[in-house]
Amino acid sequence: MQTASMAYQSSHRAEIVGELRRLLAQQGVAAEARPLPFGLQTIDGHLPHGGLAGGALHEVVPEARSDIPAAFGFVVAMLSRIRPGAPIFLVTSPCGLATFGRPYGHGLNSLGLDPARVILVAAPNATQALWAMEEALRSGVPAAVAGVIGKLDFRASQRLHIAAGETGRLLLLLRPPGMASVAVTRWRVAATSAARDRFGLLARWRWQIKLERCRNGRPGQWIVEFDHATHHFSLAAALADPTFSRSTVVHAHVHARGRAG
Amino acid sequence: MVEAAGGPRIAALNEAAYAEGLAVHDLLADARAKVTTLQVRPADPTADDAALRRLALWATRYTPTVSPWGEQNGADGFFLDVAGASHLFGGEETLLADLISRLDRFGLPARLAIADTAGAAWALSRFHPDDVAILPSGQEAEALAPLPVAALRLSPDTSATLRRLGFKRIGSLIDKPRAPFAARFESELLTRLDQALGRAAEPLALIAPPPVYHSLRYLMEPIFSQEAIVAVATRLMKDLVHALVRHGVGARALRLALYRVDGEVTTIDVSLTMPTRDPAHVTRLFDLKLERIAEAVEFGFGFEALGLAATIVEPMEPTQTDLAPSADGHNAEACAALVDRLQQRLGPRSVRRLAPVASHLPERAEMAVTDAIPAWPAPQAARPLFLLPHAEPADVLALVPEGPPQRFRWRGVMHDVAHAQGPERIASEWWRSSQPTRDYYLVEDDDGRRFWLYREGLYERETNAPRWFVQGLFA
Repeated sequence: MQTASMAYQSSHRAEIVGELRRLLAQQGVAAEARPLPFGLQTIDGHLPHGGLAGGALHEVVPEARSDIPAAFGFVVAMLSRIRPGAPIFLVTSPCGLATFGRPYGHGLNSLGLDPARVILVAAPNATQALWAMEEALRSGVPAAVAGVIGKLDFRASQRLHIAAGETGRLLLLLRPPGMASVAVTRWRVAATSAARDRFGLLARWRWQIKLERCRNGRPGQWIVEFDHATHHFSLAAALADPTFSRSTVVHAHVHARGRAG
Repeated sequence: MVEAAGGPRIAALNEAAYAEGLAVHDLLADARAKVTTLQVRPADPTADDAALRRLALWATRYTPTVSPWGEQNGADGFFLDVAGASHLFGGEETLLADLISRLDRFGLPARLAIADTAGAAWALSRFHPDDVAILPSGQEAEALAPLPVAALRLSPDTSATLRRLGFKRIGSLIDKPRAPFAARFESELLTRLDQALGRAAEPLALIAPPPVYHSLRYLMEPIFSQEAIVAVATRLMKDLVHALVRHGVGARALRLALYRVDGEVTTIDVSLTMPTRDPAHVTRLFDLKLERIAEAVEFGFGFEALGLAATIVEPMEPTQTDLAPSADGHNAEACAALVDRLQQRLGPRSVRRLAPVASHLPERAEMAVTDAIPAWPAPQAARPLFLLPHAEPADVLALVPEGPPQRFRWRGVMHDVAHAQGPERIASEWWRSSQPTRDYYLVEDDDGRRFWLYREGLYERETNAPRWFVQGLFA
């Protein structure tokens, strides 16, 4: 109370903000709700908090069914950027990964996410998966919760979003396209040919990511590549890349803008 | 009725038959001659045994140390070790009165006896003139003396020999010189005599190992709802916590026993990732578990008593109760509590971690575990993000049989290979089965999707027609 009133008296605005931030950090909420940046100014500039906001629901949607591995890879890449510490809960339901099998520990490892951090929760159906995600979020235990589930109705997405907001945890949801939700961002991910090293071998995975929807932000589209050793995203050298010549990029960009408006 | 030498004999009788003067072991033919209206059923020892076990399980509502009688004891009753339990019921007389009235309500006439030794109690329950007998401490010899030698639980041969020699009463055996008996009879006779008199210990085979930490509550009114069960379980756990704290341990596994009014007993087990003493956490787990098995629990006329036992305990640091996260932002206890909750609701083996296994075969190189895991090695070669449940056959077009794939058809879709990287050769583990060698290729198709294919069998050395499989998918 006393510190709050002191902060109020100080005329300098930056000081007030700094003081409030410090107070919030003491409450133990803001420290966890910090955003998860891509580390790429180009993309982070489109997002209101300079990264994926904590305490919110973010959606990742595969471009086509066969892009589910790429979309999941994007989720794993983002999760690997969370600083080490608390575990990461990965909740799956039978219809989520469909016929793609199961997440492979060595595969997570080679994408830079330490499998020892991951706790896999296999729910027998979608309802139980929603419950498990909510329970994990409300407990405040995990650093982030990722869900790979089938259909999700609007009300369920609201519940999850609120649960994430209560403890400031990041919630990433991989789900089929074409459903309404309260997610603050929606990313559409498609596979694209990987970056080669100087010997012509596949070096870094590349994904075509499209920020379709972003509350208080700007949509956009990029081709990113991910370095699993340093956990760094970088933009693909666009003009040198043959996939860029498909000329769909600019077109889709305009399309995304139109939808967001 | 039971088949025996010389024809079928009577195995058990009801009261009406006793009244007619029949006795166990009579020949059925004689009995039929005496009582023409006799109804006969074949004996079913297995069902009798199951019924006795059910009743013994019900009797754990009095004390956890219940031992149903085996073949030697006649297999028609059980021992209760009420030492330390009778005061909870206001004394031994009240306990016996309560027990006999409840058994009576089940329609089971019973004979009960309390004595310092199991042997004496058995003898009194069989041969005492009253249905209920309580023998004060130290009077075994006087009480047993007038009883027949059969009251010592001897084998039929030994009792027959004793009778032939003129030993009719136990009194004539007590205080006789031991050496002649030891020389002439099996060790059984003296052992049984010593056990009945408390000179030798008699181990009881208990229906369930007695828990060290156990608490029990009898309810004024039977309860019907899940909420009520959970509320009582909370109180039971609070009772247990004192003992757990005193000994510096926490529960790793708990068993909740629900005693139904009609004598059925339902037990619910939960196990925990880390030892706990938190009543709120424990009852939440029972709540979730009850929700999951709701159909399996019959409420019937309600439950009249609940017992909670810590079946596995482990040492526990006294200061694990604070919920503040440690320096790295990770709170191991809160995490264990969350995992427990998820597991109770979603079922066993639903919450797992992945542990590396030292195997070259990709499908054997990891396993799902539920407890602590070793550190993962640094990634070596590229591995797919998804591993298919089973490697799926693919039709592959390659320029040469031992070359990389050019095109392949998998799940009905044709993929043109833009880039193939490999082979990475993984030989079978010779100590298992003799599977062919696999050559793995990382393949990227025209659309940028990445697959993990392998060719099974070395061309011309192991097979002439190598087969191709898709085993995994890269991000």
